[in-house]
Amino acid sequence: MKKIISLLFISALGVLLLFVVASMPRMGDPESPTREHVIPRYLENAEEETNSPNVITGIILNYRGYDTSGEVTVIFCALACVLAILGREKRGRIHSYVDRSPVPASPVVKTMVRFLAPFIILFSVYTILHGEISPGGGFQGGAIVGASIIIFTTIFGLWEASRRIPQKFRVPLEGSAFIIFFIVGILGIVGGGNFLTYAWPNIANNLQPSVVLWLTIIVEIGIGLGGAMVLISILFAMMREEEAIAPTA
Amino acid sequence: MRLLHNYHYIGAVILFCIGLYTVIVRRNIIKKLIGLNIMETAVFFFYISLGYVDNGIAPIRVGGADPSKMVNPIPQALILTGIVVAVSVTALALSLVILLYRQFGTLDVDHLMRDEAEEAKEAGE
Repeated sequence: MKKIISLLFISALGVLLLFVVASMPRMGDPESPTREHVIPRYLENAEEETNSPNVITGIILNYRGYDTSGEVTVIFCALACVLAILGREKRGRIHSYVDRSPVPASPVVKTMVRFLAPFIILFSVYTILHGEISPGGGFQGGAIVGASIIIFTTIFGLWEASRRIPQKFRVPLEGSAFIIFFIVGILGIVGGGNFLTYAWPNIANNLQPSVVLWLTIIVEIGIGLGGAMVLISILFAMMREEEAIAPTA
Repeated sequence: MRLLHNYHYIGAVILFCIGLYTVIVRRNIIKKLIGLNIMETAVFFFYISLGYVDNGIAPIRVGGADPSKMVNPIPQALILTGIVVAVSVTALALSLVILLYRQFGTLDVDHLMRDEAEEAKEAGE
């Protein structure tokens, strides 16, 4: 009964949405209203103004830098809430975590993961550093690092993974995205502009493009590191089992 | 007919309805979360296809690419933000689910609600 009612409700909603879709502009129309106002300006001027050929990176880090700094704050807050709810794994002492997988991973899988993990991390470094001239950027690269560590953790268990990425290395880097955004913003004020001004007015004009480029790369690295560490810490906090922590012999 | 031209949007609508159905009907909380993620994916899909242009290219100014042929960069930038927020929400919800399971030993919404109701009744008496 409940299923039938919800099915009726959802099909009514679907029909309503389909009416909306039928009255929308044709998809792929170059003259459509979504391509007015600021879009042509971004596409024409982004390369000169933000010094990054990838217009999306220019928008995210430069035109809408405030937006992105709020975004890295959101992901940091998510980590803080997860740690407040679940608690961080204990520091200092070595605990043995029980391997909870019912079937141990086969040697083939272990060898492949051990072989592939460095290459995945190398690819993510490429993604982060080439974010301004090719598809990619800080968030994407950080997600790839996080994915490689997630593969490693699911195969080798939490204990092995937290030995390779110890807490004392992870904790200071978790906030790096927001800290680097803040430092770059303050540097913009010192350079004579507003908060998060990349092209400092106080320096020579011919130096400005390289300063903008390097600030963009620094912010990308900060977002990549911070995002990766936040993802890894969330995973470790979720996999931690309080009951499984055995006293060290 | 315009509805056939906009078939990407129809796909987004169908995905959204599937996600909403999962959220409403399923009793397992993790399945509800999966439904929520499907709904988010539908919204992302809708936004990205809003920015498409016929025979469009990626908005990267390399090799003298023509800006008038590039797809709309704003939805892609917005959806990058949206994906990060979706990941944050999912992580937070999953950690709450873990806590709920440790506390009650079940993920079934009906069981959880019944426990709540019984406890309230006992507290009232």
